Amino acid sequence: MDLGLLKILGIVILLAPLGAAGVCGALGPRRLRDRTHWVSILGVGSAAVAALVLLTHVASRGSGEVSTHEGAHAAVGATIPIYDWIPTGVVGRDASGGGITDEQVGTFPHRWFRVEFLVDPLTAIMLATVTCIALLIVVYSRDYMRHHGHAERGYERFFAYLALFVFSMCALVLGGNFLLLYLGWEAVGLCSYLLIGFYYGKPSAAAAAKKAFLVNRVGDFGFGLGILLIYLTFGTLSYPDVFDMLARNVDAAGTALETSKLTTIALLLFCGAAGKSAQIPLYVWLPDAMEGPSPVSALIHAATMVTAGVYMIARCGAIFVHSETAMLVVAAAGACTALFAATIALVQTDMKRILAYSTISQLGYMFLALGVYAADSAVFHLFTHAFFKALLFLGAGSVMHAMGGVIDVRQFSGLRRVLPKTCALVVIGSLALGGFPMLSGFFSKDEILHHALHVHPVLGMMGLATAVLTAFYTFRMVFLAFSGPQRVPEGVHPHESGGWMIAPMSVLAVGAVVVGYLGVGFTGKPFHTFLEPVIAHTFLAAGPNAAGAHGAAGEVVGHAASGGFLAEYGLMILSGGLSVLAILAAYVVYARAPWMAATARATFPRAHDVLWNKYRVDEAYDRVIVQPLRALGRVCFYLDEYLVDGIIWVISFVPQALGYGARGVQRGALQGYGLAMGVGLAIVVTVVLTW
Amino acid sequence: MTFAALGHILPELILLVGACALLVLGVTRVGRAPGALAGATCGVCAAALAATLWAGIPDGTAELSGLALSAMTFYVRWLTLLVGLLLVLLNGRQADPAEQGEYLSLLLFTMLGVLLTASASDVVVLFFAIELVSVPTYVLAALSRRDARASEAAVKYFFLGALSAALLAYGLGFLYGAAGSTSLSAMARAIGSGAEVGGLALIGLLLVFGGLSFKIAAVPFHAYAADVYEGAAAPVTALLGFIPKFAGFVALIRVLDVFGWAMSPGVFWLIWATAALTMTVGNILGLIQKNVKRMLAYSSIAHSGYMLVALLVGPRLGEGPMSNGVTALLFYMAVYGVMNLGAFAALSSFRRGEDEVELVEDLSGLARSQPGAALALCVCLFSLMGFPPTAGFLGKVYIFSGAFSVGADHAYAGALAVLAVIGVLNSAVAAAYYLRVAAVCWVNPERERLAPASGMSGRLGLTIAAVAMIALFVSPQALLSRARTASEPVLSGSVVKGVSRLGLDGASVPSGISAEGYAALSE
Repeated sequence: MDLGLLKILGIVILLAPLGAAGVCGALGPRRLRDRTHWVSILGVGSAAVAALVLLTHVASRGSGEVSTHEGAHAAVGATIPIYDWIPTGVVGRDASGGGITDEQVGTFPHRWFRVEFLVDPLTAIMLATVTCIALLIVVYSRDYMRHHGHAERGYERFFAYLALFVFSMCALVLGGNFLLLYLGWEAVGLCSYLLIGFYYGKPSAAAAAKKAFLVNRVGDFGFGLGILLIYLTFGTLSYPDVFDMLARNVDAAGTALETSKLTTIALLLFCGAAGKSAQIPLYVWLPDAMEGPSPVSALIHAATMVTAGVYMIARCGAIFVHSETAMLVVAAAGACTALFAATIALVQTDMKRILAYSTISQLGYMFLALGVYAADSAVFHLFTHAFFKALLFLGAGSVMHAMGGVIDVRQFSGLRRVLPKTCALVVIGSLALGGFPMLSGFFSKDEILHHALHVHPVLGMMGLATAVLTAFYTFRMVFLAFSGPQRVPEGVHPHESGGWMIAPMSVLAVGAVVVGYLGVGFTGKPFHTFLEPVIAHTFLAAGPNAAGAHGAAGEVVGHAASGGFLAEYGLMILSGGLSVLAILAAYVVYARAPWMAATARATFPRAHDVLWNKYRVDEAYDRVIVQPLRALGRVCFYLDEYLVDGIIWVISFVPQALGYGARGVQRGALQGYGLAMGVGLAIVVTVVLTW
Repeated sequence: MTFAALGHILPELILLVGACALLVLGVTRVGRAPGALAGATCGVCAAALAATLWAGIPDGTAELSGLALSAMTFYVRWLTLLVGLLLVLLNGRQADPAEQGEYLSLLLFTMLGVLLTASASDVVVLFFAIELVSVPTYVLAALSRRDARASEAAVKYFFLGALSAALLAYGLGFLYGAAGSTSLSAMARAIGSGAEVGGLALIGLLLVFGGLSFKIAAVPFHAYAADVYEGAAAPVTALLGFIPKFAGFVALIRVLDVFGWAMSPGVFWLIWATAALTMTVGNILGLIQKNVKRMLAYSSIAHSGYMLVALLVGPRLGEGPMSNGVTALLFYMAVYGVMNLGAFAALSSFRRGEDEVELVEDLSGLARSQPGAALALCVCLFSLMGFPPTAGFLGKVYIFSGAFSVGADHAYAGALAVLAVIGVLNSAVAAAYYLRVAAVCWVNPERERLAPASGMSGRLGLTIAAVAMIALFVSPQALLSRARTASEPVLSGSVVKGVSRLGLDGASVPSGISAEGYAALSE
């Protein structure tokens, strides 16, 4: 494997979007104005090309040859050092703190935090997904951010942020140690904050941005602690070193690892993942994040950033699999979140919010998969989900664009005639999301259910129930918006979106249909085979079917083989059938007999109320966490205002008083200063000499 | 000393000749052409820098009386000249046309003083070098200023400076008395190290520390700083914040090297208390300032406190920047020089009517009228605050982690850890006043439009400073390895040339030149 080439590709993937962000920011406001999108397209496009080259390179050579490191992690990937960044100590320094030999003076064999890339199949897939979808969305934004041909206010800012986000996300994925992971993690959080609050003049957008940032802080605090604990335990933050030590079951001091410590680390890392990927209990920020422009929702809050938690756990699988507790927590949180969010989505009326809850629910599936040792299925679902969910958000954006900013499905209906292309594309995306047989979402979801039912039947059943709900609420949204008599908000003249918007959606629609076939049995599951070196080392080897993991790739993927052919295809037929039934039910209730929905609502007013108010979780958080903290803040404010400021006032008064005192005697500050110097020195000399 | 030996001090010679030539050129017709003298000064700096880089790190074989060239010399040379180049860019249009020659010439003289401080091997040369730094700054503080406050500040600065020079000379006299020689290496041999330092030498050290405390504006010798910084023009203040401080710290390193860095309890606690007080007083007084320049003056006092922490940690063999205080100090000095300069460059790049920007409120809404300058100012402020992603963050990390990582076998490990905690708390306090300036720039509505003042050169200097702060965070290892190389002679005893003495680890460390050979040379 050509490390030099990988290094260059990695640098291009990072610097092209970063450079584009810089150029957009510097030249956008004055020079480029409504041509700014070209810079962004160029930067992100270069990164996408580089990521695809990297993907083919990794795929063609086989990851086994990539290794530069010895040990258990060897077969997984190439670590490419870029440069030494922060020295953390001296190699060979013993615990007592002394002991550097003469020969070592001048050579300084430091340990460093390095800026380094880790390139392996997981990285390659993530990079390709992120950059390609980002490219499509940047293209889409060109028209979305204009109205009647005029660029919206902040047009250049928008493209600068988007490019900056792509840089941050790629840095998160490419980084070869936990420090870079953390930096990328915070950077994507920053970009998310900036883009949610893009319309910062709107109070709800500003509040949503703040909420997203603060909720993520809670998760990131745990994440940071987890990384600190990793450093304290292993004495390094580099992935290969940490995973190597885990494989040998030793910590930095050479003693055996304690499971309880690994559980703590894993749970702390999960905290970060729950914040970033919007899992229970930290999911509350994602629905509000829909205040951002629709392309942002599609890119950051559906396809890429929110999957960072899934990526992180897949990457750190070596830590998680050491702790059954942590794996169970991950699986349970995932299953609960999936079901919980799906029920809320049943009654919402804001198209983007429905999709947001659906995203939370689908992320829950991915966590469920991780928790049942099926990380390859999690990444596969991440991959397919990126296509159809981005498509759906862009579709919602297209509707919103046509409806003059209105996105509430109660305000319009029958849009299939005025927005035929958008309608067709959204239906394709919905079919994929709803698990309609033979589309991408069907395959990836089915695989997760298959593994989950095998390992934790209860959680698996929750997943199955979620699948039914998903198909139902997705098509509820579709039928409410696109079927029935044509009705639009007053003063709106709906118009189909132009080519800049339709073309990227069409590409995504093709993806939503076909990418699933990368992971089905009769194509040989190339996706899973490709990922196998990363996943097999950690998850599969530790999972309940560890024996199967040592076989050929095909067997690995079918590692729930105990159920046999019938169980696998039986489940496929079952979940596919349920999905079709749910879609039909939605058709009947919302397109044919609307009175049924009204009756249901009237019959169970309380249930509807609870779901409509999202289980009142926001209110509960407000009561339990926000209000007490605000009270504490008020106390701190008064302490600061009166106590601290008072002290500072007193302290500031002392030199003045001294100055006045000196002035009274000596008429002028100069002598006072001199006197202070002289007296100070006299005291010092006396003290030191008589010590 | 042969003619060939002059080649070793080519950078110093270029500065000297350049400074003299500028004095003459200033009164000729050539000097009247706008920008000619500033350009020439830049040329002199660039030539000296080129000579420094061409000569590389001195190998210690140069035969010069009163001067000993080491890796530290090299570091000080290029850093001074590089920052000096930025200072010239910034100061190019500061003086009245008629005084341009004197002004720029004095600027070069102070730089020459810093260079000589780094290579002096004799206390007499050391004293003159430090005074060569100081005397021109007294004049610079007042030159071309019609303001009564500027004159008052300059007079105060001069008198207190004279007092500190007297202390320094007095202290060096004691050292001479204790050692019987003015050569630093002979002193090191005569005084020995550690606990057996005699009372005479100890008094000398205390007086020297007092005199140098004035240069670095440490408590209780800090009082002049706020008045002088406020009175002088912003570009001059940028210089005052860096040049004398750099010279002071370099001289302190060299004097402490004479004592072998092994401090008696009295000296340790003296420096400890000075560091703690300097940080705390600087930051607390900084909090209550309304005048930006006074605020930055107190900030610069506080930064001296941080750097004293690094000095107290001292060099410890082979432990790298995270625990070698001298490396951390040299790294921080470079970062501090650039970020401090950037902040003043930003202040001098706009005017409020005819006046300089004075109050924090004057910067209201700066981000609306001049977003670029406001952004650069904020980068420098964040760096002063020690906030990632800026180099100031790394600088503080090195200094404080050095204090934390001395190891349990160090006699003062606990005290150093406490000092580091005080330092970190101080950084948090300092954030309040830096952030206030940033907030005023970005949040407050515009009060009156500030006119751009400095020309292209000033903007260039500001941009370089801000970009350097980010770049040094992303990739600090180039500067770090240079700082490390520069602090190696401190470890092996060849800053004070020709001394063979016990290293702190108990191993004998070889020196460049034998003591006898050196003694013969210096006669």
